[in-house]
Amino acid sequence: MAIMNNNGIILTTAEEVLSWGRRNSLWPVSIGLACCAIEMMHTAASRFDTDRLGIIFRGSPRQSDVLIVAGTVVNKVAPMLKLIYDQMPDPKWVISMGGCASAGGPFPTYSTLQGVDRIIPVDVYVPGCPPTPQALLWGILELQKKIKAVKEGKEFKEIPVKQAAPSFPIKK
Amino acid sequence: MPWINLDKLSLFKKKYNLKFEKAGKLPYVEVPRNKLLQFLKEIKEHPEFEFKHFIDFTVVDYPFHSPRFQGVYILFSPLLKKRICVKSWAEDDTLPSLISLWKGAKWAEREAWDMFGVSFEGHENLVRMFMWEGYPYHPLRKDFPKEGIKEVHLPSLNQRPGEFPSHDYDEYHTVVPTLEDLERTEKTRIPKKQAQVVLNWGPLHPGTHGTIWFLFDLEGEVVKNCDIILGQLHRGIEKLSEDITYTQIIPYTDRMDYISAICSNVAYVNAAEKLLDVEPPEKAKWIRTMMCELQRINSHLLWLGTFALDIGALTMFLYTFREREKIMDIIEGIAGIRLNSSYMRIGGVRKDLPEGALTVIKHFIKDFYQKLKEYEALLTKNRIWQKRNIGIGVISEEDVYQYGLTGVVARASGVPYDIRAIQPTDAYSEVDFDVPLGTTGDSYDRYLVRMEEMRQSARIVEQCVKKLEKLKDDKYIATDNPYVLPTLEETFTSIEAMVKDFNLRIYGEQAPKGEIYLSGENPRGELGFFIVSQGEGHPYRLRIRSGAFYNLQIFPELIKGKTIADAVVLLGSLDPVVGETDR
Repeated sequence: MAIMNNNGIILTTAEEVLSWGRRNSLWPVSIGLACCAIEMMHTAASRFDTDRLGIIFRGSPRQSDVLIVAGTVVNKVAPMLKLIYDQMPDPKWVISMGGCASAGGPFPTYSTLQGVDRIIPVDVYVPGCPPTPQALLWGILELQKKIKAVKEGKEFKEIPVKQAAPSFPIKK
Repeated sequence: MPWINLDKLSLFKKKYNLKFEKAGKLPYVEVPRNKLLQFLKEIKEHPEFEFKHFIDFTVVDYPFHSPRFQGVYILFSPLLKKRICVKSWAEDDTLPSLISLWKGAKWAEREAWDMFGVSFEGHENLVRMFMWEGYPYHPLRKDFPKEGIKEVHLPSLNQRPGEFPSHDYDEYHTVVPTLEDLERTEKTRIPKKQAQVVLNWGPLHPGTHGTIWFLFDLEGEVVKNCDIILGQLHRGIEKLSEDITYTQIIPYTDRMDYISAICSNVAYVNAAEKLLDVEPPEKAKWIRTMMCELQRINSHLLWLGTFALDIGALTMFLYTFREREKIMDIIEGIAGIRLNSSYMRIGGVRKDLPEGALTVIKHFIKDFYQKLKEYEALLTKNRIWQKRNIGIGVISEEDVYQYGLTGVVARASGVPYDIRAIQPTDAYSEVDFDVPLGTTGDSYDRYLVRMEEMRQSARIVEQCVKKLEKLKDDKYIATDNPYVLPTLEETFTSIEAMVKDFNLRIYGEQAPKGEIYLSGENPRGELGFFIVSQGEGHPYRLRIRSGAFYNLQIFPELIKGKTIADAVVLLGSLDPVVGETDR
């Protein structure tokens, strides 16, 4: 925000104020799916205390703008998770917490969804099984950076990933 | 070993055409299907045996045997303090339903129908347990692939058009249900009546302790009928473990009951060791006991925090998480990982205790008694707390046996069923502790029993620390045994150890042919592992007897006629963890 030493007058744009407000008051839906939910609770509890970042867990998806997918998404819960994502008002972001939510993790089975990005778009992937509270906080800070970059019209510079050798899934 | 001597049952041999198998590690009785129900009824009601505590029922699939499926029943006699294992072949893929004898068989039979397609004569509502209605397969059958049948095109939404995928993933996926499928699943559970409202609670609700889906049939505020839909966290651990070595299963036991990971580890590792005839060194046994009890305190603290939070006491949540962080730090210091630590190994533990670990634990325990007093001062005589808890969800002793309840839920009803005392593993036979029992079996009693258990756990940890200080330089893993993985130093310094490590990791522990059932006392109840080995490097079938699964089963019965506000209290006091109920 452009703060100028101008007798207490701040010049800014509505876009900037909105973006500043959004990234500093991320309200996640309090949904826990599996093990990662325990670490998410630890992030919210006394030691790591996400309240100081403006992150307050809300009970209703209608009041929240971040969905932290904390845990294994199995096929049976996938449509309901999508329903909750659809109920959230725009703008909304998704943090995929842990290996299971990101890509199926250690469960390559008949009943597990291999990555939550198959049903809802994901903004930040947090690695770990489960990620520590520090890792989740990193993910949230990364999301804040992303929101800021989007506001400034820049493309968010993602962490460069080594390009995998080209491979195509077998056509069926 | 608490298995009954089968010679005692020989008086029934002619009458029921029994076959005894005494040689293996799991002595069992085989009964023809048509006489199963009478036989179980006889041993349940016979005054000399009284096998009235239902422990587990499962099915094993033998595709090349006719009949194909074998039912396995495990019962416990509070009179003799012994268990019995009864088996019966399911001719025409049907077995008689045991609901008339034990109500606890209801969900276990549903699960067997869901996973194997074995049907049950006389079952009141044989519907899917974990999968949804309309799911065409029975996944635990041997001819079903573990990764499922990929039939829908479901590519990642994050993959931009024209770009290569970031990793080599399959765009095809196993079938995902639609909301209509789930609605149909819901309709099969509660037949809707006129002028009543069916209220959904969960599956994604913070109060349901995970992803349990409750259906309440309401009249005003009073619950007339209730059912629970499980399977929102069914990840197929039992199917997965049929394909991996015995050591590789350990991390999956962590992720089952993620709040008490180490207790699950220990229960599994003990079962595997029993099967492989491995004896861990003394130091490992004491470390296991100590870690188990620390984890039990940790688990009960989470229960206390969330339970109080559900009732409206936010302060408790912040207080207990303060203590939990301390235990998590201790576990992280010892095992390297905070939550799902995978600290146990077959034949011992993964690492030796680091320097100073015992001092830290000593200081924590010294401090902890004071903290417990604080919690009790806040809650025990609190008027709101008492009004919300006393008289809610009274479980009688008969219910405990009927539903196969174990753990704190059983002990709060006055049933002294504690695996640590009945069948002590590790160092539990050498430590001194009391088993707290409740008198009325209501929610308040369960709270009191858990608080007292934390104190007893702290006592056990103190004794373990004292003992471990003497065992400083002992071995922590029995690497001499051919089934035990060598430590990292050994692998890097000796060629024999490296070859052994390679063989065990690639081909697995070639367990002898046989079966084993061994359980451990989890904070949530009896966690049993039934392993069938066919002499390969991986188990032929691994059945996990989950305490939370059976404990949750009584919930619909207890909530009938109560208000919705009591549902939160009742669920909190039963303390299920979905990772374990669904597996």
